[in-house]
Amino acid sequence: MFTRHDSLRPGYEAVIIGAGGHGLAAAYYLARDHGMRDVAVLEKGYLGGGNTGRNTTIIRSNYLTPEGVRFYDESLRLWQDLATDFDLNLFYSTRGHFTLAHTDAAMRTMRWRAEVNKHLGVRSEAVDAAFVKRMIPMIDLTCAGHAPIVGALFHEPGAIARHDAVAWGYGRGADRRGVQIHQQTEVTGIRVKAGRVVGVETTRGFVATPKVLCAVAGSTPRILDMLGLRTPIYVHPLQAMVSEPVKRWLDPIIVSGSLHVYVSQSARGELVMGASLDPYELHQTRSTLDFAESLSSHMLDMFPFLGEVKINRQWAGLADMSPDFAPIMGITAVEGFFLDAGWGTWGFKATPVCGKTMSHTLATGRNHPLIEGFSIDRFARYQLTGEKGAAAVGH
Amino acid sequence: MAPSRLGHVMRRLDPHPGEWIDRSLPLGFTFEGREYHGFSGDTISSALAAEGVTYLARSFKYHRPRSILSFANHDSNVLLCVDGVPNVRGDVTPLIAGMRIEAVNTHGGLALDKARILDYLGRFLPVGFYYKAFHSRRYFAYWERLFRRMTGLGQVSLHAVRRATPKRYGFCDVLVIGAGPSGVAAALAAARAGASVTLVDEGMRCGGSAVSHAPLQKLIDEVYQSASISVRPQTEASGCYADHWVALVDRVRLTKMRAKAVVFATGVIEQPAVFRNNDLPGVMLATAALALLSRHRVSPGRRIVMIAANLEAYEACLALSAQGIRVEAIIDLRSQQEALDADAEMQNCAALGMEILHSHAPYRAIAGPDGAVCGLDYGPLDPNLRVDSRKLRRISCDALLMSVGWAAAAQLLQQCGGKTRFCDSLQQFIPDELPTGTFAAGRMNGVYEIAARIADGERAGALAAAHAGHGRAGDAPVPRSTRRPSHRFPIIDHPAARNFVDFDEDLQVKDLENAIQEGFDSSELLKRYSTVGMGPSQGKHSHMNALRILARARGISPGELGLTTARPMYHPVPMKYLAGRSFHIERRTPLDSDHAAIGAVWMPAGNWRRPEYYARTGENREQSVAAEVRAVRNAVGLIDVGTLGKIEVYGAQAGIFLDRVYAGRLADLRVGMTRYGLMLDESGVIVDDGVVARLGQEAFYFTTTTGGSATVFRELLRLNAQWGLDCALVNVTGHRAAVNFAGPLSRDILQPLCNVDLSEAAFPYLALREACVAGIAARLLRVGFVGELGYEIHVPAGRAHELWQALMEAGRTLGLRAFGVEAQRVLRLEKGHLIVGQDTDGLTDPIEANAMWAVGMKKPFFIGQRSLKILAARGPRQLLVGIEISAAGRLPRECHLLIRDGEIAGRVTSILRSQTLGKAIGLAMVVPELAASAGELAIRGEGGEMIAAKIVPTPFYDPQLLRQKAVTAA
Amino acid sequence: MKLMVCPLNGPRAITEFAYGGAVRPMPDPDSCSDAEWSDYVFNRAGSPGIKREWWCHIASGYWFIAERDTARDIVVGTFPPGARDAPA
Repeated sequence: MFTRHDSLRPGYEAVIIGAGGHGLAAAYYLARDHGMRDVAVLEKGYLGGGNTGRNTTIIRSNYLTPEGVRFYDESLRLWQDLATDFDLNLFYSTRGHFTLAHTDAAMRTMRWRAEVNKHLGVRSEAVDAAFVKRMIPMIDLTCAGHAPIVGALFHEPGAIARHDAVAWGYGRGADRRGVQIHQQTEVTGIRVKAGRVVGVETTRGFVATPKVLCAVAGSTPRILDMLGLRTPIYVHPLQAMVSEPVKRWLDPIIVSGSLHVYVSQSARGELVMGASLDPYELHQTRSTLDFAESLSSHMLDMFPFLGEVKINRQWAGLADMSPDFAPIMGITAVEGFFLDAGWGTWGFKATPVCGKTMSHTLATGRNHPLIEGFSIDRFARYQLTGEKGAAAVGH
Repeated sequence: MAPSRLGHVMRRLDPHPGEWIDRSLPLGFTFEGREYHGFSGDTISSALAAEGVTYLARSFKYHRPRSILSFANHDSNVLLCVDGVPNVRGDVTPLIAGMRIEAVNTHGGLALDKARILDYLGRFLPVGFYYKAFHSRRYFAYWERLFRRMTGLGQVSLHAVRRATPKRYGFCDVLVIGAGPSGVAAALAAARAGASVTLVDEGMRCGGSAVSHAPLQKLIDEVYQSASISVRPQTEASGCYADHWVALVDRVRLTKMRAKAVVFATGVIEQPAVFRNNDLPGVMLATAALALLSRHRVSPGRRIVMIAANLEAYEACLALSAQGIRVEAIIDLRSQQEALDADAEMQNCAALGMEILHSHAPYRAIAGPDGAVCGLDYGPLDPNLRVDSRKLRRISCDALLMSVGWAAAAQLLQQCGGKTRFCDSLQQFIPDELPTGTFAAGRMNGVYEIAARIADGERAGALAAAHAGHGRAGDAPVPRSTRRPSHRFPIIDHPAARNFVDFDEDLQVKDLENAIQEGFDSSELLKRYSTVGMGPSQGKHSHMNALRILARARGISPGELGLTTARPMYHPVPMKYLAGRSFHIERRTPLDSDHAAIGAVWMPAGNWRRPEYYARTGENREQSVAAEVRAVRNAVGLIDVGTLGKIEVYGAQAGIFLDRVYAGRLADLRVGMTRYGLMLDESGVIVDDGVVARLGQEAFYFTTTTGGSATVFRELLRLNAQWGLDCALVNVTGHRAAVNFAGPLSRDILQPLCNVDLSEAAFPYLALREACVAGIAARLLRVGFVGELGYEIHVPAGRAHELWQALMEAGRTLGLRAFGVEAQRVLRLEKGHLIVGQDTDGLTDPIEANAMWAVGMKKPFFIGQRSLKILAARGPRQLLVGIEISAAGRLPRECHLLIRDGEIAGRVTSILRSQTLGKAIGLAMVVPELAASAGELAIRGEGGEMIAAKIVPTPFYDPQLLRQKAVTAA
Repeated sequence: MKLMVCPLNGPRAITEFAYGGAVRPMPDPDSCSDAEWSDYVFNRAGSPGIKREWWCHIASGYWFIAERDTARDIVVGTFPPGARDAPA
């Protein structure tokens, strides 16, 4: 599936830092759509070993801002054909996605998102509690009496996929088109001359290149420090856990902001579960017991019959958060240095569209129209995206 | 000699001293609908085995029959459904009378499982097969349904009842995990040094897998006698977290143990040999056979063949023989030279008539008609560790035991940050770097002889106690074993495969080799692609052998590859234990029962519950809300506003402090007066609002929103710590109750209850007075939130009930009604007041919210000021405006969109029909061009219908504020 | 679970504390440029390392300064705000 290369070439037309889904997707589309095959993807660990392999694989486009909805909806469209493109089963499974509302205030936000989605042709609907019960009959609508469900945002195209396979598919596709993927190769410096990128230093020597794409999620600040670029990105761990396989009982994907739960059942029968971001900065993927405790408690509030189902494993990834819950993408103040970051907790679903838009941006030197709202300079201009609007409504 | 009966049959033997079963307590149970009997002290697997049940489960992928492998909590192939509980491990679950037990993952029962056909189709299902097929958009949905029917092991009962299992907290100086020889010795050594010790083991008793060893038994007795050692058998250490915080799970609950030091005496896990049909019922680890025999008196078979590669194999054969079990042959993977460390034991075995074959290996196990093992083909092993298939010999047997090596149970140690390295001579990972306060002992440390294990335990226990502040200890290491307990490659290729590396996931040697061939050639990638180690046993039997296969393919040592990351849980943990009892915060004001008494219908507000409205017989919700609004507009109403955050700030610089945290000017507020305050964050976004009152020259009292009170107070404390101003803050939210008593009659009703002059001249709009109301010391604030003459009355929480009753009584005949949050929303919207968080969003600044009247840009500094200057230059991206809908018909709802030229031009943030005004009014956040146009606009309502509206100035009601200022006539 | 030593209350589980972000000196709002100000408001030093941070013991409402190694998850030290031994 992949070629193992013994050494780096002295130079490449472009270097991509990070062999996660985003970096490999960019490499794939560079080679396939832009004819750029003299490309190296450098990875300090192993392919797909970061957040690509650690997320809970939810794919949706029910965002709040028009720029967000358009961007993620394009991603959703790309997802549909990936398996055929790759000749690889990604287990892309459309399940329907419920964001539960437990208060009137939350319900208002659901309606806001539904209205924006529908306006842009995305299938989302604000639904009442009876609809939730009809679609998920086993749910306890009162949530153990703690947080009665008043309704939900129902997003029919919501899907899950086999996350690792996405990295393998893009990686294999890129590899077959001549892109070199180098694992266990860490970037230690970026050489800039007169404001332009000229190459990268690595643990396996210097590589000359005029174009560098940084797609390293939680490691973004470390790469940017090499260039003296500043961003609002802050890194917190995001944890998840998975149960032993049980027979199929849950089809839709269920999210509750109030209970801090998201859950789906994988094709193998495992319950894949996540909660909110860890509350403080940390660059380490340790697990905590209180995460497993509170998530289990909230799971049982919704599904009281799961008490005997066992948690098999918990893990964590490093989320590169941005203050307005939107990514930071595109060209930067350093010519030839391109950024694909600020993916926080929402990066997996964007993998294809990031590959598409970043490859375009890299090849042309100009931001793709779909990512114009996500540029790094929006903070200095006080032009933040409104994606946090949904999250900030707390009353 | 032919076996008496083809195939594998276990049976119960005669009583023997030291057995764990109590034959005076027989227990009846059913398995797959048939009745069986076991004894108290049996596990489910031992009882079924004793009853001659050949196989207990079907495997995950190929649905092959499976039975006991480890008998040590790693038999993830024997997951059962017991009384409706899915995925119960038969090997360690104590048998209880009346259990109803079913196999999981079968289609039509264990024996006739229709899915066993998958075993024959298996060669068409290579590793990664699922990635390579059925992905066309047309067929995937169909195929997925099929796939999801086959996967999943146990069935969850959707009607199971939630049982709350309270958790416990534990504290000790030294926690010892594992009660084998080294753990027991560690516990004793730590206790001797004066430490309080907790000793946990997942097994039923102390001693680990070591059996009948007199000096060890003496130590175990000492452990039980020691007052400072708490022994907890049947307790799994499921996860090791930061700072020695360990999750202990027993059969009742989760205990969260905080230890000062931890000793990992977790031992080693016996590893299977890999050869064709190594998964047949009757093929098991030697430790499993010994435990079955000595603890439960279940004979593993009548004719046994041992597959050997270490000293322990010969010791096991002698132990079996001593209990009357016949071992036919020992197939040793090692040459005679390599096996010299077991020389004496070999001679003893030979003397007992066992045939010993060196440099031989199993080639394939033979299945009898019942699916269990009935024989073995074996052959000579060449230096490349391959069996020459032309020189095979067959031996019949009814049990095939494996003793070829061990893997360190280092998972818990790794979870808390311990590092391991591969030791070539031992063929085992051993602890390398240990985090502060953690110590390893015993076989995990590479110390195998029992006396040495005890010595190593004593060393670690003394060190742990010293770390916890008890005694002193030197670290004189106990030498590691010089013999080779683990074979370097106990894996035999076979062209027809079915040589299982991972029993959970039905993975064979070729599956891993193919994955490696495809480029998944690191430990992590191989794990993810092949799913080796991803099943319920988390690779405890498969990681080492998979690593050996990968190392062979890459031509490097397993040590160069390294293990994949170990994560909690060590063994899977039921969610009920993790969840415990479910705790949720719900706050109630001191007036809660007063509300309930008059029909309050509750709604959540932050952590509080508040009356949405008060239901009355003969009224529906709308009618009740309308009547409550009318009472306030025409007579008087009473609302509990005690959920507002209430904060006091005292000190010479209290005014300066508030000037810095609020956007408006407050330092010049006169004593006895109040002012509206708007709070921004550093980027200029509105985060909170409230009323600020000046109690004295150096004393202020202010309110925050209900939802924001805790975070606002905490942030103010931080700013106070940072700025170091001469002032101090007190949060009195819980200490004080508050009501708003509002309406044209409020003054007249309140005056007789109150000891201060309420006349307009004495107590004007926006003033504050300390007074006595109905005999209760109160703060009175003349506020205008609902747009009528009104008083907020703040009293100590303990007096709230008295106040409420006095006001209700005073207004009883004058049209007073208690009103809820919904009526208040109507009243405030008629006044055009915004609600932070509803009419503003996460990016709204005061320019956009039309609230610059509450901002003092000329002040020297306030939080958000500098950003507001930038935002003023940038210009608003949206503006909050009043809207009005005159047409009858269905109203749009909050968050419906304004549409102009087919584009989104804003959204409705608040809307309702005002009975007072006879029309629908609302607030909307719109693009600036639209706000300026002041013309007609269109809202897309429910179902897409377009509703005409127009922008109008606010307040909608009493724009000159005459009523709240109580000006009699304009 | 991590322990943290509160200068006022002694060692406590980290769930008893609220994280208040890194200690960041504010530029003079009157003399700094818009760019300097927006850099202060939005940008962060996001790389791992030893950070000076605000932490609050929630139950007692006590704010203090912690030095924490965010790469290794270690609390290096905690100090009362403005303490003389607090590193600059």
